Amino acid sequence: MIGSRSKTIVIWTFVAIALILLSAPTIVVLGASFTAGNMITFPPQGLSVKWYGAILGASDLRQAFIRSLIVSAICTVVSIPVGTLAGIALAKYKVRFEKAIQIYLLLPFTIPLIGSGIGMMLVFGNMGVLGQLWPVGIACCVINLPFMIWAVTASASNLNEDLELAAANCGAPPLQRFLYITLPAVLPGVITGSLLMFILALNEFLVSLLLVDARSVTLPVQIYNSIRSIITPDLAAISVVFIVCAGIAITLLDRLVGLDIFLKSK
Amino acid sequence: MNLSNGARESAAAQAAVSVKNVSMRYDDFYAVRDASFDVPKGKFLTILGPSGSGKTTLLRLIAGFGKPTSGEIFIGGQPVSAVPPHKRVIGMVFQKLALFPHMTAAQNVAFPLKMRRHDARTIADQVERYLELVKLGGFGSRRIHEMSGGQQQRVAIARALVFEPDLLLLDEPLAALDVKLREEMQLEFRRIQKELGVTTINVTHDQREAMVVSDEVIVMNDGLIQQRANPVTAYRTPQNAFVANFIGVTNFLEGPATSVSGNEVAFRCAGHELSGISVGSGPEIKAGMSCSGAIRAEQIRVAAAPEKLADLTFRFTGEIIDAIFEGERMVYEVNVAELGGVSFRVFDHDPIGHTQFLPGERVLVGWNPKDMHVFGNNHSPN
Ligand SMILES: Nc1ncnc2c1ncn2[C@@H]1O[C@H](COP(=O)(O)OP(=O)(O)O)[C@@H](O)[C@H]1O
Ligand SMILES: [Mg+2]
Repeated sequence: MIGSRSKTIVIWTFVAIALILLSAPTIVVLGASFTAGNMITFPPQGLSVKWYGAILGASDLRQAFIRSLIVSAICTVVSIPVGTLAGIALAKYKVRFEKAIQIYLLLPFTIPLIGSGIGMMLVFGNMGVLGQLWPVGIACCVINLPFMIWAVTASASNLNEDLELAAANCGAPPLQRFLYITLPAVLPGVITGSLLMFILALNEFLVSLLLVDARSVTLPVQIYNSIRSIITPDLAAISVVFIVCAGIAITLLDRLVGLDIFLKSK
Repeated sequence: MNLSNGARESAAAQAAVSVKNVSMRYDDFYAVRDASFDVPKGKFLTILGPSGSGKTTLLRLIAGFGKPTSGEIFIGGQPVSAVPPHKRVIGMVFQKLALFPHMTAAQNVAFPLKMRRHDARTIADQVERYLELVKLGGFGSRRIHEMSGGQQQRVAIARALVFEPDLLLLDEPLAALDVKLREEMQLEFRRIQKELGVTTINVTHDQREAMVVSDEVIVMNDGLIQQRANPVTAYRTPQNAFVANFIGVTNFLEGPATSVSGNEVAFRCAGHELSGISVGSGPEIKAGMSCSGAIRAEQIRVAAAPEKLADLTFRFTGEIIDAIFEGERMVYEVNVAELGGVSFRVFDHDPIGHTQFLPGERVLVGWNPKDMHVFGNNHSPN
């Protein structure tokens, strides 16, 4: 038997190692972005914010970033109604083909993205819409939708079915029951799912790579293109901007619904 | 024929609710079988039965959450099977309350009015009035999870009543409360119901609650209505062994009927002939039929000396098996060897003499034939 004291020490050691491993890349990038030198190095050589000035001035990076935001917005806006309705339906009703749907919900972890990416490249290519931004948004929505559905079903399964009956008993017709009772009950899940969808689309690299051309490069692809030429600290700075975006999303989530819900959603 | 039909229909029109031959089947299982009853306007009716007896099913059919497999329900004289729940003007308090968790107490109470498109002024006034009625004035801005069980209960009542429905349905809303609060809320229900005069159907498995709050009681078991009577009648003259056993604490003696004359039966138990016993209001008993004699725990007296039981017709010796002190009374378990070793539950109120028997003591138990009821044994008690 291990004493509870030494057990605590072991557990905390593991936690510390995990935290270091998880945060090390972020810290390295953060440090490198403030370098005064012209090389990406850690620890940084001197401190300056000149690389942040540089990315502000770099119109290609800025435009790629704006394109990424548009893609994320499209992805999120499409996923909200689809994911919410699908999530509620899955939680509330005995749906046919439940097995098939469960397998679909596992897809993001099983199918290599390159596979779905190529599939969508063919579809959108045939439609002749490659090079526009909305196909990228739709593609991100399709591959990440299971996350949205999960978030919604997790809060919908807390929905006591008597609540809708009670609303009916109070005189609410079906649409009002949905709007006033069902929707607010799953709202935390919808918020969680939306932020998740937004961040995932903002970060999506592989599928974007397959679907963009020179006119519609998104930020992750733009960064990738730059790495292939020369690695300068402005890439570290733009990575920090990314991290800040994710940080804002997490903070919003915590403020709006609390992180415990986010972590609980299966 | 025509005339009597017409008379019946007008009686149904006066009833606030009228349930006619309603059955509800799930697959091949009947949750409710051929239930028929009326609830007169302004009355408080309780459906009493053990868990699984079909009470909730029946109540939900009245509320409109599902259609009966057969039969028809009339509300205010109109058949309602084609009326969806939100168009039936019925208030309901759910077993688990089903308050809307994302709304405040006042928003919960306002919801039925909002759905009925009352103007903001009326809603505010009415909500305040009903929160006042359930003694929650000033609590309107509380969130549901910030309220105690009893307060949530009151919010649910206010929500069910605020739109002044013709009918109030209560599905065991007190089951989750502790005893003291439950008893307080029972009286509260009674007070509010009297004050508003709203026809009420209450569902419970708690026989005490049924006695305390109701004008009328319907006892249900296995989806079948066993008896419909006012509380006193249901208690004093149960219709069958199930009712006798379910309401109150009842002892049963088994044996064949030896003679039947008018309203009196004699039956034999362990070689003793017990005669002059009233026939229960159930099915007819014939000589030779196996039957159960039921006698309430509080109608049996226990004493050490025979003189003390001189006024009782039946007297048997027994031995105290267990003695439980319940404050205002003693509860004895008495083994009566003379009657084949049956165990009797006896309530003994002796607030003056404080007699107390101990396990192992030999005692006499006695009762009068008029307090006993005999039922033919189609199904056994317990
Ligand atoms: N939706 C349903 N499907 C199948 N059986 C049901 C359903 N609802 C209730 N039952 C069954 O009907 C019987 C009566 O249930 P209920 O009306 O809830 O009883 P009570 O409220 O008296 O406890 C129970 O045996 C229950 O299992
Ligand atoms: Mg029930």
